[in-house]
Amino acid sequence: MSNSAKNTMTDEEKNTAAPKETEEHRKQVVIPLLQHRGAACEPLVEVGDTVLRGQKIGEEDEYGLAVSIHSSVSGRVIAIEERLHPHCSKQPSIIIESDGASESIKFKTNKNPSKAQILDSLEDAGIIELNGYPVYNTLLTEKTIDTVILNLTNPGDVSSNCTGENISKIISGVKLLMTASGASQAAIVANKNNKQIASSIQSRLGASTKLVTVKRNYMPSMSNLLAYDMTGIRISNTGTPADAGVIVSSAHSALAVSRAVLEGIPLIDVNLTVSGVVSELCVKTVAIGTSFQDVVQSCGGYVGEPGKIIMNGVLSGTAQVTDEVPVIKTVTEITVQPPHEVLREKTGSCVHCARCVDVCPVNILPGRIAAFADVGKYDECEKLHVQSCVECGMCSYVCPSGRYNLQLIRFAKTALLQGFKIPEEKQYPIIKLGCQSCNHPCHMWAPLDGIPLKGSDKE
Amino acid sequence: MKLTVSYPPHIRDGTTIETVTWNKIVMVAIVALISIYVFGLPALALIVVSVLFAALTELCIQKLANQELTLKDGDAILIGLLIALLLPPTAPVWAPALGAVFAVGLVKHAFGGLGTTMFNPAITAWVFMNISWERLTASGSVPYIGEYSDLLLELGAGRLAEVSPIIFIIGGLYLVYKKYIDWRIPFSYLIVAIALALLLGEEMSYVVTGMLFLGAFIFANDTATSPITKRGRLVYGALCGVLTVVYGYFTYNYVVAVLYTIFFLNAVSAFIEKHTVPKPVDEVVA
Repeated sequence: MSNSAKNTMTDEEKNTAAPKETEEHRKQVVIPLLQHRGAACEPLVEVGDTVLRGQKIGEEDEYGLAVSIHSSVSGRVIAIEERLHPHCSKQPSIIIESDGASESIKFKTNKNPSKAQILDSLEDAGIIELNGYPVYNTLLTEKTIDTVILNLTNPGDVSSNCTGENISKIISGVKLLMTASGASQAAIVANKNNKQIASSIQSRLGASTKLVTVKRNYMPSMSNLLAYDMTGIRISNTGTPADAGVIVSSAHSALAVSRAVLEGIPLIDVNLTVSGVVSELCVKTVAIGTSFQDVVQSCGGYVGEPGKIIMNGVLSGTAQVTDEVPVIKTVTEITVQPPHEVLREKTGSCVHCARCVDVCPVNILPGRIAAFADVGKYDECEKLHVQSCVECGMCSYVCPSGRYNLQLIRFAKTALLQGFKIPEEKQYPIIKLGCQSCNHPCHMWAPLDGIPLKGSDKE
Repeated sequence: MKLTVSYPPHIRDGTTIETVTWNKIVMVAIVALISIYVFGLPALALIVVSVLFAALTELCIQKLANQELTLKDGDAILIGLLIALLLPPTAPVWAPALGAVFAVGLVKHAFGGLGTTMFNPAITAWVFMNISWERLTASGSVPYIGEYSDLLLELGAGRLAEVSPIIFIIGGLYLVYKKYIDWRIPFSYLIVAIALALLLGEEMSYVVTGMLFLGAFIFANDTATSPITKRGRLVYGALCGVLTVVYGYFTYNYVVAVLYTIFFLNAVSAFIEKHTVPKPVDEVVA
């Protein structure tokens, strides 16, 4: 994974910031109304409306659960209907046919914003952290924030966003986050093995920013662990990094914050790394809503028949049903595997070799938990601290028996959550479980009783 | 376009049960070859009979129980090899045959097969043979590592496994280096055992035998019968070291000490594991 990321760092750096490159091949974009953890937003447009690039087409609700979305092209709304979502479900989406002109609304630039102005412009920019939580809501915390941590250890995020001139934008994004949260210092965390990124960051450090090198890669789901490793303050698994006085940001969101505040552009483009069996390994700037197929085509297309298309990394990413799913705000990496690389080995029995215990970053016993989850003993899983799992996927990666520990752990987590959520159901356990194949348990994304999903009543 | 959808992970690191077991088999087989060189045909007969019966037992059980045949993962073959190595060359050939049937049939498969054994099958088979036919399975001589060349080739070996300690040292370190086995149990075992023996003023020549290294790298480190927690493995290895020296100190037999120690600690491994479960990093201390 990191090898392919290194290859892609070198070329295509120049045109990452210019959206013109991607114009000719995109005709239609599908923008899901739900791209984060929370509730779907209310569409602001109707079928037949013409929209401009950057125009707000979906609005947050009064509970602050939803995040606004913006059109990434100029054109006409041709449908608002359920479409496939990269998190393996169908979600109501706005489909816009591009007119090719790419006419934008007027973006409000602000070179020297105050704290209130930053928060103002972030409220509507629709920026989502890679773990699915809205950045604006994170900044609204009542707790005192003293440090902003920029996580540059997620390989997909780094290879996509830390290119060329983006690095200085990311640094200015961190400074804006410091102003907005009232933090006095910032720590930039980079992997020891990625010397390139450490050296390019080093030259741009300010007085209150510090570069920290670590051995481990922190995935977006591991922000609590990162905050603990940096500050030494333990955070409960129901807490957030704010409990330790920390905001954890990624290159993706720092870049988006900088663009939204300084240039007034909401989150309508994301940077992607496309790797695997494509004719050209590349880093691209892609409009949100472009299908995976079009992204791969713009990188030169598939080489041979693809076997598996994976979003956001091979360790814990989601395999896609089809390549027609749209790019959403949290995508950083698309990996195409050839059929012969697709894992097909049989799962063997656990031999208690404890390799999973040795690699676990949060000191739990993944193999044991998975064994209990396999036979439906979820209470035992909870006693073994299944809720502490940060879903890095290393336990499955190293398993010599080819066991699906991560899947079983997610299974147990979902079961516990749903089991506790429906106490009035007497016949325990009536638990409906998702397929667990995606990053996020489905109760976060799919409509459940209790979470209103406004788009769904249009059926 | 046919796309595969599956759960993460989408790649694995490539180490499988088969790789680990066959690497262990290669290491043990080298020692077996040297023992044939030292002891001649009786050793060969013991090894062949033992491996054959271990493999046949597994084959029969899985055929009868309509299970998938798992002979190619090498576990039964390793058990067979190890049973032969624990015997002196003077042992009758029917002894390893019965031992192998006992080990694979009762100790391994009756308890659920690979990964679910309570006791190490090879050691349990040795205990079974030693109790049943003590006169036939007792060794004629005791290994004495008097010179450094004895580490390479020990001609005074009583049992097949003791002929070449250096193979187990190099092989064990290689397995640890390749991360096929964990370092905690063998290292804590060897360090504690040797340190304690030095403290008690024991003669090292009797302590550092091939059996000690075989015990540390293969038997004590048998994954199914040792604790899975990190601290638990250190405790388990250290206890192995202590008990080996205690048994050896009073009986003057460090070879049998290793085997009985590991057999005994297999029984308390679950207890050690239960009391060494780590605290997760997100546990907030109130």
